[in-house]
Amino acid sequence: METLKQKALDYTLGVLPKEESLLFEAMLEDNDDARQSLVQAQEDCAKIALSAKPKSLGNEVKQRIMENCQPNLNFDPFLASSPIESLRDNFSRNANRYNGGGGCVSLKQITDPKLHDEIHRMYDDLVSLSPLVAGDSNAAAGDMSTLKSALKKMPSFTQSVDDLLVHPLDEEKIGEGLQSVHRSLLSSMPSLGFFSDRLNGDSFSMGDVRRLFYLCRDQLKIMRASFGDIDPPRLTEDEKLRLHSAGLLQTKWWGAEHAYFSSKGKVRCGHFFDGPVTERCVEFAEYDANMYCMANLLAPRSSNGEFHLELIKDAVPDCILAIATAQTSQVSHQELHEIVNGLTTPDHAMESDRILWTLIEESMTRAHQHSSLSDLRESSLFGCHRLKESSYLWFAWPAIENVHSGADA
Amino acid sequence: MLRIENDIWEKIRDGDSSAFEDLYDRFAGAMFSLSLEILGDRWEAEEVIQDIFSILWRKPEAYSPQKGKFSSWLLVLTRNRSIDRYRSRKRRLDHGETDEILHSRPDQNDKDGADNATASDEREHLNRAFSTLPPDQKKVLELSYFKGMNQQSIAELLNISLGTVKSRTRLGIEKLRNSLSNLRL
Repeated sequence: METLKQKALDYTLGVLPKEESLLFEAMLEDNDDARQSLVQAQEDCAKIALSAKPKSLGNEVKQRIMENCQPNLNFDPFLASSPIESLRDNFSRNANRYNGGGGCVSLKQITDPKLHDEIHRMYDDLVSLSPLVAGDSNAAAGDMSTLKSALKKMPSFTQSVDDLLVHPLDEEKIGEGLQSVHRSLLSSMPSLGFFSDRLNGDSFSMGDVRRLFYLCRDQLKIMRASFGDIDPPRLTEDEKLRLHSAGLLQTKWWGAEHAYFSSKGKVRCGHFFDGPVTERCVEFAEYDANMYCMANLLAPRSSNGEFHLELIKDAVPDCILAIATAQTSQVSHQELHEIVNGLTTPDHAMESDRILWTLIEESMTRAHQHSSLSDLRESSLFGCHRLKESSYLWFAWPAIENVHSGADA
Repeated sequence: MLRIENDIWEKIRDGDSSAFEDLYDRFAGAMFSLSLEILGDRWEAEEVIQDIFSILWRKPEAYSPQKGKFSSWLLVLTRNRSIDRYRSRKRRLDHGETDEILHSRPDQNDKDGADNATASDEREHLNRAFSTLPPDQKKVLELSYFKGMNQQSIAELLNISLGTVKSRTRLGIEKLRNSLSNLRL
């Protein structure tokens, strides 16, 4: 009996070796003493849990968790639509899977001194900001003084982006770095700017600190993946093989508030899938930037202030579909259609939106190792579609082969 | 209490969102406190809680009454998931944390007031019981329970045999059980 109690305790604490765990689990089926031992061990361990110092959870956590009870959006009609059928017919895996790092340039290539210095300064400011919004920071514990003091000393990220993009960029002084500049300024940065401005003001919540933590993390990775010499030691880490699960994306997007400059949107997430999406941080950064671009396009156009994100694996074999959808008016959908199909006129309001989609297109040429955008468009590897009163944006990413379970970076 | 817990679980299994909310109100605080104690990181602890509640809603069959009290199962699951994250983070950071780290982490309590007089009395009781354990049993329990160290690692760290680790863990828990027999979960 003592041995059984010990086994039950070891099992509960997760320290019983795997083979013995399996034997113990088998014993539970028909051995009352084993079951009683397990129940007792669990109760003992549960009571020890209560020795942890009590901490309060914010209301925003309850709101996020209660969203589980919302009915799932049904993607079956979209997955049965003609573009996705076309994708299913046309998609084939490349022999060597793309795992990120493409589109990266040297920051030195930017010979516009203001742009060069501002990008560097923003990166350095974000490096300073990150520990101040981390989960073990004073801000996470409710003391905002250090964070606010730091934010007051930094130029507003929103204002910085506005100042840099108020005039069209001089492409001669940027050269091949144009894509990297756009990715750094227009993917997660607008949302980051929104939340840091809010935290610098009077109306903010703990949820904003959390959101800013994830945005800082994402933005830093995106900038390192865009400019190889902005932080070489951290980029070396980002280039190491390390699986990133769909859960990482779901965790940060779940119940989030998103902003694209002055447009805000509530994010609703599907349950994504259980498994890895990317193999390296640099790949994850590119994937992430694409998702932010889709979110930025939809947030201002949603009829009800919400948009939905979902990641679906194997609806198209060997492929992960990232899908963003929102209820839209016919006019808003027409705008999306023109943006996605390159039909926009050089109107400033839509110019940055067209850039967002261009970033996704260029990423697709790398991900699928195919330079012809028209071919990729024909194959429906990315696109825009309308079903009933909703617009759908998507891009397809090559799945990782032969992985049995999800893992986290 | 057991009946109430089983009722809640059965209602969640039937898709009752009010029961899910009731579950959150009753247990999320204790789960979060435990997870934060282990991880020392608010956002990671929130992620653990978020994941567990998501599983509970999508797969309520993950629990069954055969596994013991619902509340106990929840807290053990919280502990185990938090330990998994802790170990994963430790591997990523590529340096070991000493057994002093748990106690020397910045105290996040000062600004974070939880206001529940009844739970406070019981925790006080529990903490007293914990502190009166023989030091060798307390040490092994802390390393095993809150740090998730496996018994072989504890044995090597403390320079004792595996059998001694097992018996100190068991004896410590038995002593706590006697002190905590009236503790309400």
